[in-house]
Amino acid sequence: MKATIAPALLALALLGAGNASAAPQDIKLPAENVKLKPARLPGYGIAMQKCAICHSADYVSYQPPGLSLAQWTAEMKKMQQAYGAPIDDAEVGQLGAYLAVAYGSAKAKDPEIVAIAQKAGKPAVPASAAPGVDVQGLLAKNACLSCHGVTQKVVGPAYHEVAVRYKNDAQAQAKLEASIRGGSSGKWGAAPMPPFASLKPEEVRALATYVRQQ
Amino acid sequence: MQDKNKPVGLAGAPQSAPARRRFVRHVGGLALAASPLGALAAKATDGVTLADGPRPLVRYPGKRPLVRVSTRPPHLETPFSTFNEGPITANDAFFVRYHLANIPLSVDLNTYRLSVGGHVGKPLRLSLDELKKLADPVEVVAVNQCSGNSRGFSEPRVFGAQLANGAMGNARWTGVPLRKVLEHADIKAGAKVVTFNGMDTPVLPSTPDFRKSLDIAHAMNGEPLLAWGMNGEDLPLLNGYPLKLVVPGYFGTYWIKHLSEIEVLDHPFEGHDAFFMTKGYRVPDNDCQCVAPGTPAARTRPISTLAVRSFITSVESGGRLPAGHTVALKGIAFDGGSGIRTVEVSVDDGQNWQAATLGEDLGRFSFRAWHLPVKFDRKGPAVLMVRATSNKGETQPAKASWNPAGYRRNVIEATPVTIA
Repeated sequence: MKATIAPALLALALLGAGNASAAPQDIKLPAENVKLKPARLPGYGIAMQKCAICHSADYVSYQPPGLSLAQWTAEMKKMQQAYGAPIDDAEVGQLGAYLAVAYGSAKAKDPEIVAIAQKAGKPAVPASAAPGVDVQGLLAKNACLSCHGVTQKVVGPAYHEVAVRYKNDAQAQAKLEASIRGGSSGKWGAAPMPPFASLKPEEVRALATYVRQQ
Repeated sequence: MQDKNKPVGLAGAPQSAPARRRFVRHVGGLALAASPLGALAAKATDGVTLADGPRPLVRYPGKRPLVRVSTRPPHLETPFSTFNEGPITANDAFFVRYHLANIPLSVDLNTYRLSVGGHVGKPLRLSLDELKKLADPVEVVAVNQCSGNSRGFSEPRVFGAQLANGAMGNARWTGVPLRKVLEHADIKAGAKVVTFNGMDTPVLPSTPDFRKSLDIAHAMNGEPLLAWGMNGEDLPLLNGYPLKLVVPGYFGTYWIKHLSEIEVLDHPFEGHDAFFMTKGYRVPDNDCQCVAPGTPAARTRPISTLAVRSFITSVESGGRLPAGHTVALKGIAFDGGSGIRTVEVSVDDGQNWQAATLGEDLGRFSFRAWHLPVKFDRKGPAVLMVRATSNKGETQPAKASWNPAGYRRNVIEATPVTIA
């Protein structure tokens, strides 16, 4: 057998022995442009918000066609248990239903899909009951802190960075509310922020105010 | 109407084999060279069907247009036509695969350090320069292939990156043997396992880090390298600059990019961050590393060495060849480190086989080029096939085996063509 690992003096000469003083190598990644398929299912909103924390939408859309509700739901269970996705068991079910309809073999009218969708949409706290909005509760429930630190950049900018950028902007409150409600892209980096359209106006207002104070 | 993107011969016959490699269409690199970052207009029609495909070609820093598997974390596949350029895969064509979204976008050698610790007498913290001076550099030409290369042809289909056949590449790697570094750190008696971690990290602390391990005997056998050079240049950032663990003969999952941490253990590698050894990247624990299609594996073990494979690179699926003229077929073959003994070609759908001529031997871990002149007397459809046999006698199966993760595909490839 011919020896396959041999001293590589030539290569050493070519590569140069020392280049620690070279400028840092850095790159910029292209922006994300794949979006999840819209659907009138509760899992669509959850998918936009939670899946996007760790990966782009093409992780979903480039799966094989025709996978079943059981297969997509099992995959969401794997995301929850193996990869630590911040989704509870109810969200596993909603995500499985949405993905099986949007990308798999299920239809929105299938009885099991209808049954799963009907289980969603029961808010824990009635909207008008709370005199003040629980900002920390909202941050946790919507997994905001998965993408944003208060002082640390994570997937998106730190709240402090946002506060600094909009400090002298008279439109700050309106702009931040719009970004939270409708999503945002291109302002801070390659990863887009998903819309949080199901938040109530007073919740969006409280979150925007909170961000500006950091 | 026939779906051009649908694999031929799979509908209704999931076990029909050999697999047809389908309708790979070239995309002219020159026309795309001036395109900006991001999605290019061309699509890769490589026979993999997707829930929402097909996949576009995209341009990333330091790379020619590659097939997008996912945007974040970046996952890019080499267009198959690239492999006809020769047995060495160019750095700008080499596939890219990350698991975790927090990847280093900037690496400064002034601050970069490789730490070597754990069950050693002398923990190390080395700059790249210090590592380069630690031992004489060595070179190896070796194939880096994704465990899930060709997963998109699994039948029944399985979750995961839906790769065609381009998640592989062959390069000349330059570095120092892992063994020398471990010896320098004064590895202690009783060491069992060596673990490796790179600079990429998970977004959430609840997600396991991407760490891999090698048994101590493998880590010390002189084959694994800590490599900074790829085809005579620095590693591209997206392939692991400034340092990559190169494990010749083993699947790419072990080839940790942006290598920054080596830890020697005197006990098995377990726990949250051992996920990609203890739960992920595992194959059925039996000889064929397979199970009945669609069934789970009762017992599994970590995936390890490459299975023997071969490809025709000079003709695409659905291509046309002239009748009555001699045509030079060419391609590549490789295995997990014994080297290629023979490559045989069939031009009649597997009925008769003839030996191809092997090209230059770049080492037992490398792609081995092959070529064979063939002549077709009759016009009409034909199916070309290629099969390799390794020096240790391993050959490719006529029928694809199956495992739940879609790993380690090595069925005999079939290329339907038209003789005209």
